[in-house]
Amino acid sequence: MSAFFGPLEADGRVPPHQQTRVAAFLISAHGALARQFAFALPAKLDAAWQTELNAQFYRESEIVSLLMRATAWVPDLALGHMAVSWEMAWLPAPIEGLADHARGQAIQLATLAHAIHAGIRPAALLPTEANPKDPFAMALRRIEFESSRLLQAQILFLKGPDLQPFRDAVSAVLERRHAEVRRLWHETLDSIGVAPS
Amino acid sequence: MPFLSHGSYRIRYELDGPTDAPAYVLVNGLTQYSELWGAYRDALIARRFRVATFDLLGQGASDKPALFINQDDHVAVLHRLIGELGDGPIFLSGISFGGLIALRYAIEHGARLSGLVPMSCFAELSPQLLLIGNALRTGLILGGTGYLQDLLLPMNLSDQWLKPLLDKLDSVKRQGWLVNDVYALQNLMESFLDFQPLTPELSSITVPTMILNGEFDFLTPRALHETLRLEIPNSALVIIPRAYHAFTLEKAALTADLLARFAEDVMAGRWQGNKAVWIAPEDAGGEFSPFPAGYDHLRAIPVQRAVT
Repeated sequence: MSAFFGPLEADGRVPPHQQTRVAAFLISAHGALARQFAFALPAKLDAAWQTELNAQFYRESEIVSLLMRATAWVPDLALGHMAVSWEMAWLPAPIEGLADHARGQAIQLATLAHAIHAGIRPAALLPTEANPKDPFAMALRRIEFESSRLLQAQILFLKGPDLQPFRDAVSAVLERRHAEVRRLWHETLDSIGVAPS
Repeated sequence: MPFLSHGSYRIRYELDGPTDAPAYVLVNGLTQYSELWGAYRDALIARRFRVATFDLLGQGASDKPALFINQDDHVAVLHRLIGELGDGPIFLSGISFGGLIALRYAIEHGARLSGLVPMSCFAELSPQLLLIGNALRTGLILGGTGYLQDLLLPMNLSDQWLKPLLDKLDSVKRQGWLVNDVYALQNLMESFLDFQPLTPELSSITVPTMILNGEFDFLTPRALHETLRLEIPNSALVIIPRAYHAFTLEKAALTADLLARFAEDVMAGRWQGNKAVWIAPEDAGGEFSPFPAGYDHLRAIPVQRAVT
């Protein structure tokens, strides 16, 4: 098993079955974030931080749209049950020791977004010989780069003074989210013969 | 690949060389990973040392805490690792951020060490270093690990090293980019947000200490090493000719030789720090030169030192 995509096609592209499964996972994850940001976004912005929420919503939507178009899709019968397990994992879970429901929801969304933006590095799976002009490869590079930018909003919020009194609870939820997202991501990669080092 | 436990986190480490030999423990800089010490491992084992390397918490193959990394954790991990090495002599060296962790270890657990070698190091954030650090962090945030590497490479390495690699810099950067994650590097950098200067505690370091500083180190210039020399009683400052901040990458053979000679001198009872200032040889095995008497080693032009 390799740490990278492959064996590549003759023209240096990632094999379509690997593209399909990875793109499906990323669409599920970023699509869930897009939906959750959309629900959190009011019709009219009345606080400065909501401008960031607006940006996050559109960037996530862009990632989904980009993958829909850049992926060389092939039929994949396993995707049905895999997608169900992914979608279940993105659902919020209660946070122990936090009674404030609104704050809890914000933490849930931020921790999920942090885990997806920080923990999933699809461009790091491209071998050096991957065709740089392949739209799928370009999309993965863009998603990884944009994710590290989007991540900054989650870092600011989760490390911010408002959550200082709940630091241990927030850290525990975040570590759990990271572990869960990492497990699903590694299972997905394992199913296509990729084992990130 | 062996791992140490630190709470719920795993720390990847490597021990090589004879188990009954004196040990060198090497601590990574911020954007490094332990494979970068490969040349040191070979050279020091050939000189009959045991060599311990590891990825810091948040680096390489070690676990990466999602939100916070405290510098105390690095010291605690180092303490665990050194605890694995038995009762023989331990020499501790670190580069840049790793040098700072080595200093902190020496302050807290100096009795366990036989010698200390801080390299390209600092005990406090000068205004320049603070602002450069902030700018590098912003670079990481806006441009990712690759952009941070783009900033560090020309700042920390010489033209002679860079020139033959100009058309393959992507491959030079790739492994560091692969193993280091933006959020984890950011957490390491943000561990400085509540940093307190170590200067008042340096005098408690009583072990023989060789401070290595590149002649042209721009990131941590001579004045920052001078603090270490003045405060650590049994220390000497050794200036590496024509070297920049990352001389451990660029001049591995020379630096490994200096590390081995220092440890051999200490164990043979020949080491005398005397807060002296030396110029290292250009190549491994060469002679040290005393910094010319009467001249100011803090200046880049030959200015005579003011009489005090």
